[in-house]
Amino acid sequence: MLIRPRRILGFALVACALLCALLANIIAPYDPLRSSIDLLSPSTASHLFGTDELGRDALSRVIFGARTSLLIGFGAALVAMVIGAPVGLVAGYAGGRLDVVAVMIIDLFVSLPGLVLALVITAMVGPSLLNLTLVLGLVMWPGVARLIRGQVLAIRENSFVEAARAAGGTPAWIIGQHIWPNTMRVTAAQFSVSVSLAIFTSSSLSFLGLGIPPPVPDWGGMVRSGYDFLAVNPLLSLGPGAAVTITVLGFYLIGSSVE
Amino acid sequence: MLTIVIRRMLLAIPTMIALTALLFFSLTALLGSPAAIMLGQDASTDAIAAINKRYGFDRPLYVQYLDWIASAVRGDFGRSYVTQQSVVSAVLPSIAVSLELAVLAMLMAAVTAVVTNTLPAGRRIVGPFVVGANLVAITVPNFMLGISLIFFFSVGLGWLPTTGWAPWSEGALVHLKHLILPVLTLSAYYFGVFSIIYRAEYRDVEKRLFIQAARAKGISRSRVAFRHALPNAILPVITVIGLSMGQLAGGAVVTETVFSMPGIGRLLVASIGSHDFPVMLAIAMIIVVGVVVMNLLADIAYTIVNPLIRIG
Repeated sequence: MLIRPRRILGFALVACALLCALLANIIAPYDPLRSSIDLLSPSTASHLFGTDELGRDALSRVIFGARTSLLIGFGAALVAMVIGAPVGLVAGYAGGRLDVVAVMIIDLFVSLPGLVLALVITAMVGPSLLNLTLVLGLVMWPGVARLIRGQVLAIRENSFVEAARAAGGTPAWIIGQHIWPNTMRVTAAQFSVSVSLAIFTSSSLSFLGLGIPPPVPDWGGMVRSGYDFLAVNPLLSLGPGAAVTITVLGFYLIGSSVE
Repeated sequence: MLTIVIRRMLLAIPTMIALTALLFFSLTALLGSPAAIMLGQDASTDAIAAINKRYGFDRPLYVQYLDWIASAVRGDFGRSYVTQQSVVSAVLPSIAVSLELAVLAMLMAAVTAVVTNTLPAGRRIVGPFVVGANLVAITVPNFMLGISLIFFFSVGLGWLPTTGWAPWSEGALVHLKHLILPVLTLSAYYFGVFSIIYRAEYRDVEKRLFIQAARAKGISRSRVAFRHALPNAILPVITVIGLSMGQLAGGAVVTETVFSMPGIGRLLVASIGSHDFPVMLAIAMIIVVGVVVMNLLADIAYTIVNPLIRIG
């Protein structure tokens, strides 16, 4: 199962991003926050991606930017899981009126414009690392809940669940012992897709000017400020843009390799 | 069928009321005192009280909401805090820009995805690349794609204008030249999504007996593909078009910002920057209501196209 080409490529891309984030201090050639008098230098041997309008090394900023993106990505996916999984499990197992209400709420949120909602809420609460993580998690949980509920509906019909019920198991015990473990495969895949979606959305938000405030290196924000100098040095915006794309693609490949 | 359509429409009304109320209450709660925003931080308490009285901010929230809804239904969204201009006159011209962008992008994505995956020749040529292309189209952020396109076609080759917008009055060619790159940017994601779904469905339909029967009768390959297989494989695409309206709104916001188009999304970003609450609220509501209406239309289209529901 592990040797599907799609999954291998996914893991390779994610490994690149993770290595950048973990070993940023070692890999990055410069301090990402230190300015120099070398403003907007083009791509050279000492500055592979050139320098930005404050003379900071663009490559080092891209490498350090992996930290911000992955932190928000994993954090938001975790928040979405923590809210969405219990809702999906309980609604799917309980059925009846509870399920109808849960599905109504989920459908309401799933059809909403996630990015627009995140944009407006972030504007209100202010863009900090914690706020962005929470807002993205709140926008994404209905998708998780819907998926897990669908899984539970199928698992519930198995005879081992009936046996557990006949043996006198309480609903909480049956969900914990028999249902939840069987959703793990799909849940793990959805987690990876959620990370990818969170990084996609958070970088879009910071491109729109609602990301982590400067000077913290942040891919979306770097694309935004580098965009002004597209004709001078395209790597200032396309470099961090490529980093976002590679990371999002990597997590998406891992997630979508599970049917 | 009419009853199904009417039932769907009636269901959309409570959805819209719930959504607008949710948005109104959460935004007002998060925003804090609107008077303080209008007057700045060192406003005197008297001045704040005067503003509160004038705009009715001192009334209970639910009264303000009902009042807002009552005027919104009549087409009055209040005045901008910043420009004092009426919100409707600021927002209305930008809606047309965004609608044109969104409709063209959706159309292009759906038509190219369906045609390249139906044409026998297209399937042969595109086949090997299509899975990779779909995945990249889905995951590349709008800003990355847009800026790359600008870099190649505008900065590098100089074929197209970099950014900006030209109304129809400046000539159809100029207008379309400004639209090509934004439409491409916005449609990429949907091309990927539609293509993946349509391909999977098409592969199932292709194996069915009526397709073999049609081939056996000697009908040409492309006629079988377009007349017999396509109508049976297109249903999931219509469902997904309806479901992706929310996503589309988000993509349009980013795309309009990249290309400096005077659309509703860029106006939203600008109003957020200047804390212009009435404009922000009006646009957020328009987008949410638009998404609900589009979902409804997709549902109706699905009922009309699907014979199982149409007859049953």
